[in-house]
Amino acid sequence: MFLGRVIGTVWSTVKWPELQGHKLLLVRPYSLADLARVGTDVDAAPNHDGVVCADVLGAGVGEDVVVAFGHAARVAISESLSAGEQPSIPIDAAVVAIVDRLSIMSGEGDNS
Amino acid sequence: MIRGRVIGSVWATRKVAKLDGQRLVLVAVDRADRVIVAYDTLDAREGQTVLVAVGSGARNVLKAGPDNRELCCDAAIAVLVDGQES
Repeated sequence: MFLGRVIGTVWSTVKWPELQGHKLLLVRPYSLADLARVGTDVDAAPNHDGVVCADVLGAGVGEDVVVAFGHAARVAISESLSAGEQPSIPIDAAVVAIVDRLSIMSGEGDNS
Repeated sequence: MIRGRVIGSVWATRKVAKLDGQRLVLVAVDRADRVIVAYDTLDAREGQTVLVAVGSGARNVLKAGPDNRELCCDAAIAVLVDGQES
């Protein structure tokens, strides 16, 4: 999983049927250097390439979220799965939590 | 597995129902400007060097065995590192 900020939404009309009704968000991951600026610069936005994620929680632009990849992402957005059933939705990234609070140890940003 | 250092924690009340109740921590990946979010079942403290299992291996940290495919987990701390020779 990674921590990122929602920077936009993606919409599409032509898509695989299993994707109907799912909101797609553009999320930019935080790097270590970005996290060092959190708290000192309120407008510090992560500046890495965005990842498109499915979202069932209703996250909005500007919010910080946790994104899961792969099988965990498909499990997260499949509402009900019976035992042994495999999720069939063709996604590989999904928002699994909207962050309330971060605690980062002081002096972070130096990972040498 | 990915070697890194615990640098903080994440709190969230709005999350998918299948997300496990375990603590979520921020791990700074060694020799990279990258941070991952992982489950912590070993009570790693801030500053601790850890190995994070990703993918299917991460689910085995939370629940070993073949019946864990319903878990929403793709990263979990598997090892607290005491020392290393290289």
